[in-house]
Amino acid sequence: MTARLRLRQPLRSAVAALALTFASASACAADDAAQPPRVEFSGFATLGAVSTDNKDVWFARWGVNFPGDSDPDFSADSLIGLQASLRLTAYNAITLQALAMEDGSERQDPRITLAFFRQTLAPGLSMRIGRLRVPFFMLSDSLYINYANPWVRPPVEVYGLNPFNDLDGIDFIYHTRIGELDAEIHPYYGRGEIPFPEGKARLDETWGLNVALTQGNLSLHLGRGDGRFTFERGDAQFRAIAAVLRAAGQGSVVTDLSGAKGKTSFYSIGVQWDDGLWQTIGEYARRDANRYVPSAYGWYLSLGRRFGSVTPYVSVARQTLHKQFAEATLPPGRLATAWETFLTSRNNAQRSVTLGTRWDVSRQAALKAELTHARPDRDSWGSYFPRETPTTMRIGGRALNTLSISVDVNF
Amino acid sequence: MVRKPYAILVACLTWFMAPCALAQIVIVSGAQSPLPELTRTQVEQFYLGRAHSLPDGVAVTLADLPASPLRDRFYQNLTGKNPGQIRAHWSRMVFTGRALPPQEAADIAQLRQWLNSIPNMIGYMPSAEADSRVRVLLRLP
Repeated sequence: MTARLRLRQPLRSAVAALALTFASASACAADDAAQPPRVEFSGFATLGAVSTDNKDVWFARWGVNFPGDSDPDFSADSLIGLQASLRLTAYNAITLQALAMEDGSERQDPRITLAFFRQTLAPGLSMRIGRLRVPFFMLSDSLYINYANPWVRPPVEVYGLNPFNDLDGIDFIYHTRIGELDAEIHPYYGRGEIPFPEGKARLDETWGLNVALTQGNLSLHLGRGDGRFTFERGDAQFRAIAAVLRAAGQGSVVTDLSGAKGKTSFYSIGVQWDDGLWQTIGEYARRDANRYVPSAYGWYLSLGRRFGSVTPYVSVARQTLHKQFAEATLPPGRLATAWETFLTSRNNAQRSVTLGTRWDVSRQAALKAELTHARPDRDSWGSYFPRETPTTMRIGGRALNTLSISVDVNF
Repeated sequence: MVRKPYAILVACLTWFMAPCALAQIVIVSGAQSPLPELTRTQVEQFYLGRAHSLPDGVAVTLADLPASPLRDRFYQNLTGKNPGQIRAHWSRMVFTGRALPPQEAADIAQLRQWLNSIPNMIGYMPSAEADSRVRVLLRLP
């Protein structure tokens, strides 16, 4: 019953928030003079299907969705987002956004992804307070605005490094123009949380700075973020491995697997070129953590060309394990194998090549299809999850082909 | 006999130039608006959602027109971005909460009404539509 109540709460708050905005919208709907206060509604949605040729694994976006149990799996990319913006005056506004998609604990309840008050403080400078999207990497805050991106989804090799969604806090966005160069300077501070099956991950006292420089068709992104990291694991595999470690006299290692004493840093550098015909996007990102999750880095490079409304693209991507998060000395045999499997399941290192096409069907909709040929590293599960018993299954080193088809709409 | 080819030449020139003359788009405010003339860069910053106010702090409200060849030409001319790029750009600006989109008037008649009732609003229209009820702040080439 408690679990059920907890499950329904985000849904209720989402509905309540939207209902409230609707009420104020109809109050001033009669006034059509475009004068504030004025409410505007908009939304975005993706219907996506994913299937992998090897039927003993699922495609999974770590921390974003839970590996599905249907094939094709609609849970990896399908989502719907509704947004209401209330312009109070020309200098301030309130924005609410609710997003329904599967989360890391297999729930699909709508959650509030934006709920902030924005105030213009000076020409070019605005401040936002409330719930914002985490902006760690170049495309993080538009991660689910699939219509804005060329691919079905931004490459998992980079965006899997940080699955956080929300930043409850404050940010400042400053725009300035230096000669021909547009600069956006974006400092932020706050906290965020994501659910996992029988556990959760949290970032506290997180601060960061993003800088985006744009000149003509070229733009450059630089980002850095730091935070205190909590990762509470409660799943069966973790409980089993903790028991194994304690039995082997390695109980102290457990504090590196789960707890509230982590520190993590994120770095990213990205570049985009879009001249209307060619679209090139590349990014390098890095996650450093002192415990709970591996330190890893990833990059991708994507090239697309527009032929009218059709844009074929190719992208290559790689995630590399830099450092595992825990070490244990266990006698060879079953226990050592269980430990290795545990570490392997937490490693998402892989390389992939993706061929795809985007077709802008109308002004509001894009149809995309892409085929990814991925090879998880030998000691990794990459972006896959075993359907059968994890201990007897090997994902690392295999070549896997995943087909993704999606329709993105904007309204 | 000399006049005929000349007439054809004039007809050809008119035919070639007509689309250009029609294509000229102007950035306008209401006739009574206190807004100053704007530079192309300023207008580009506004219509890409990167700036919301003038250097003196006065907030500018943007008006847009419904999806049409005129609108596509306006953005292409001003920002160099094609319709697909503009839609992707604005969906990113709006759904990350960076900017609110320009307010879309149903047609040029409604745009003129808005401009006259909101002093700090700017919009765009073909120069042929810019009569005494509006003030031209910038002419796009």
